[in-house]
Order: sequence, then C-alpha cells, then structure tokens
Amino acid sequence: MRLAEALLALFRVLVYIFLLAPIAVVVLASFNAGNFLTFPPQGLSLRWFVTFLQNDVFMDAIVYSAVLAALATAVSLVIGTMAALYYVRHAGKEAETVRVLLLLPLILPEILTAIALLFFFYEIGIGLEHKIALFTGHVLMTLPFVFLNVTTSLQGRDEACELAARSLGASRMTAFRRITLPLIAPGLATGGVFAFIISFDTFGISFILKGTGSAPLPIQLYDYLRFNFTPEAAAVSTVSIVFTLVAVVAADRLFGRKA
Amino acid sequence: MSRRRPLLLIAPAAGLIFFFVMLPYINVLVMSLRMPGADGKPYGPGFGMEAYAQFFAENYYLSALPHTLWLGIVTTAVCLVLGYPLALHIATASRRWRGLLYGIVLSPLLVGIVIRSYGWTILLGNTGVINKTLKDLGIITRPLKLMYNDFGVVLALAHVFLPFMVLPLLASLQGIDPAIGQAARSLGASRLTVFRRVTFPVSMPGVQSGCILVFVLAISSYVTPALIGGMRVKTTTILVVDALIDQFLWPFGSAMALVLAVSAGLIVIAFAMLTRMKWK
Repeated sequence: MRLAEALLALFRVLVYIFLLAPIAVVVLASFNAGNFLTFPPQGLSLRWFVTFLQNDVFMDAIVYSAVLAALATAVSLVIGTMAALYYVRHAGKEAETVRVLLLLPLILPEILTAIALLFFFYEIGIGLEHKIALFTGHVLMTLPFVFLNVTTSLQGRDEACELAARSLGASRMTAFRRITLPLIAPGLATGGVFAFIISFDTFGISFILKGTGSAPLPIQLYDYLRFNFTPEAAAVSTVSIVFTLVAVVAADRLFGRKA
Repeated sequence: MSRRRPLLLIAPAAGLIFFFVMLPYINVLVMSLRMPGADGKPYGPGFGMEAYAQFFAENYYLSALPHTLWLGIVTTAVCLVLGYPLALHIATASRRWRGLLYGIVLSPLLVGIVIRSYGWTILLGNTGVINKTLKDLGIITRPLKLMYNDFGVVLALAHVFLPFMVLPLLASLQGIDPAIGQAARSLGASRLTVFRRVTFPVSMPGVQSGCILVFVLAISSYVTPALIGGMRVKTTTILVVDALIDQFLWPFGSAMALVLAVSAGLIVIAFAMLTRMKWK
C-alpha cells in the first residue's frame, strides 16, 4: 500500500511537470545565444529579444492583437454585463435558455464558428473587408467569459440595496452606477482579463477571418513557425506569456482580494 | 416579482448570438447542400447532395474521419488518466497548496495554443530536448520519432486540453463529503474499494462532462495537429480548412465539417448512454 501511494505521488509530480514543461522550455529557449533551438542553450543572451524588437512584423502583430483584444473586451464587457443582469435578475423561466445561448460560442468548435462566420459575411456582401468579421468573431469568443464571471458575482448579491436606492429616488442609471457596478467590479475585472487573454491568444477565429493586411500575433507566430526554427519565436512567446501574467496578477491585486 | 422585463438588457447579446452564431450555422447546413462552383466561384447555382457524395466517394477524405475520431478518443482517455489523480489531489489538498496546484493546472490556459504547441516541437523534435538528452546519455543512437506522428499529436493535444478535464472533475469531487469515505473506511472498506464504490461513482458527472469537452475540443483542433503532425497527420478538421481556405470548395468543406460534427455527436451520445447505464 505504501508503494502504491508513493507511485501515485510520483505519477502526480510527473503530470505537473508535463503541464509546465512545454511552457518552461519556450521561456528558456528565448534566452538561447545560439542560432538554433539547441539544448542545453549555447550560453545566455537577450539577442533574440533584440531581434524581435526590431522585427516590424511581430511588433505590429503584438500591437494589433492588444488593440483588437482591448476593443473586443470593451464591447463584450458592456453586452455581457447587460446579459448577466437580465439572466440573474429578470430571466425567470427562460434563464436556462439564456445561459445556453450566451455560452454557445464557448461550446461550439471555434474553427467551425469561424468558418460559419466566413461564409455568412461573404453572403451578406461584406466579406472580410474592414476587419468587421474578425472583430465580430473576437467579441463572440470573449462574450461567454464576461457573462460567466459577472453572473457569478451578481448571484452572490441581494437586489435589496438597489431597490432601496430606487425607492429613495435614485434613477435606474444612478442605482446601477452607484450600487450595482461597485458590487460586481471583481466579476467585471476577472471577466475582462479573461476576455482580453482569450482574444489575445485565440487562433481559429483569427486564422480564418484575418483577411488581408495586419494579422494578430498568434497568426504571425504560426506562419513564422511553419518555416523558421530560430529562438526568435521563443522570445515573442515569452513576451506574450509575461504580458498575460502581468494582466492576471494586476487584476488579482486590484480586485481579487476584495472579492 | 412582477415587473416589466427589461428586454433591452438582453437584446444586444441575443441579437449577436442569433445573427452571428445561429444564422451562420444554419447557413453552413445550406452551404453543404449547394452545388460545386466553377470558374473560381466558391459554389454554383442549385441544390443537391453532390458534396456529400464526393466526400463518401473519395477515400483520401473519408479515411481521415475514423482516424480523427480515434485521435479524439485516445486524447480523451489520456486526459482522464492524467487528470483524475490531479483532480483528486487538488480536491483533498490543504488550502495553501490548493491555490498553487490550481494555478499549475490552469497555467496552460493562459498561454496561447500556438505557443504551447511550439513548446512541444522544442521538446519532441528530432534534435529536441528529449532526443538530445537521451542521445547525450548514450541511451539511444538514432533520434526517436516523437513528432510528425500520432504519438506527438496525442501528447500535445492531451496537454492542451488537460485543464478542461481537471476542472469539471474537480467541481464534482469537491462536492463529495469526506465523511462518506471515512464512514466506508471505518466499516472496513479498503482505500481501493472506497474509490471504486464511493468516490468514482459520485464523480461520474465530472468524468462525463470532462470527457465530452476534451473529445469535442480535440477533434476540432487545428493548430496542434498542424504544427506537431506536420503534413503527415491529416485530420478531418485540417482537410476542412484546406478545402475551404486553400481550395475554395465551400459546399464540400461544409459537408465534411457536418459529417465530422454528426459523427462526433453520435459518439458523444453513445458515451453518455453507456456511462449512464452503468452508473445509475
């Protein structure tokens, strides 16, 4: 029995390593001084970060992805919060339908949703012009995360405070701004961070709907990786990982403790 | 509470889902019934079953379907075997450890799928970390084939989707009252018996949703099989994207995607029926 437990513990440690290894290896590879991805690294160097900073394609892509993610998150936050309010406070018998509808983009395979959107935008005559299809796709992908997080923070709250404010003469808008909004701030923050990360990292939607011209970071990285093996891609990935971590930690510090 | 329902609150979200998810999906169904196009047009006038007939007639495309489903099933099984001990561990861990372990399990989700697949290419390549280490240790002389085959693809897919297995498992395991297990133990049941008769049956909803989630995600993933499998592992999803984007065969690609979706649906239903019959 002792042996069995020891083996199980070893197995768990191996699985944890399995989870972290590919990410750790990318970060380590980015500090490689050599021309190719070799292990152990041929000395430590920041040269691939310098190469990356001078590479317009990647720099453009990272800015493009950040702007796209910020815009998609902003729209999702508004629409998702409204939907969450309706779902928790007013949906009644239709609650389950509302929930399934809002989670559809998460449940359906992303690549199929992307293809469906591609056809649809061509059929209505817009095609991939002006990045409207790409943007719509990103809003769809991020919406469930805002909805889920805001719903969670709303469900723990009593509506009494808002009703009290309303009975004391506050308008609907004031009651929302002064009472509801501060209460659901942690949910908005978590949902917003999730939405941003999902949009920043998502592949299928961007791959199919990118159109011509600038493309989001995951697409540029994928295109690069198909033909190149230098550690520059690792440097790009490391920056992207750090970017994400900073967002998560910042949101946690700002709002996590209060929740 | 009988008040006027503020439908305006739900209108933007409902409109978005209706116009940009439901209508486009219906359109894919319609597309699959259109005729193939000519002169660079993605589809032609009229309707028919041409696209489906073509799919079932060409072995190149047809043979990828069972292979894709098989990769999905194996990936799901690997995720379950790797994920269950983890979920069990986290569910019973002390508060301090739980946060850290939870973070490790969730960490892959915070890193994009392209980067994670790239990490696997660094590990599994012919001159990658694993082969290099084994060679330096003198265990092998020629590199092991770890990439550009089903093995590498399943390994990387299992990594990418493991969190989606652990999270539902964890949710169902945390609902179990530890007192039940203790009671069974005090009545003389062995640890294994407690697991087999108490823990596992109670966690069955988590097993079900985790398996279904991972299976669906695995068969519809594109980047991981494309990067790890090179061009040597062809899945239906890769063929669908090729047909639609590179070859502009919209009705054919749609038909192929729908056949995959229906086959996956049948497997999911069979799985749900099987597991329910046994455990309820």
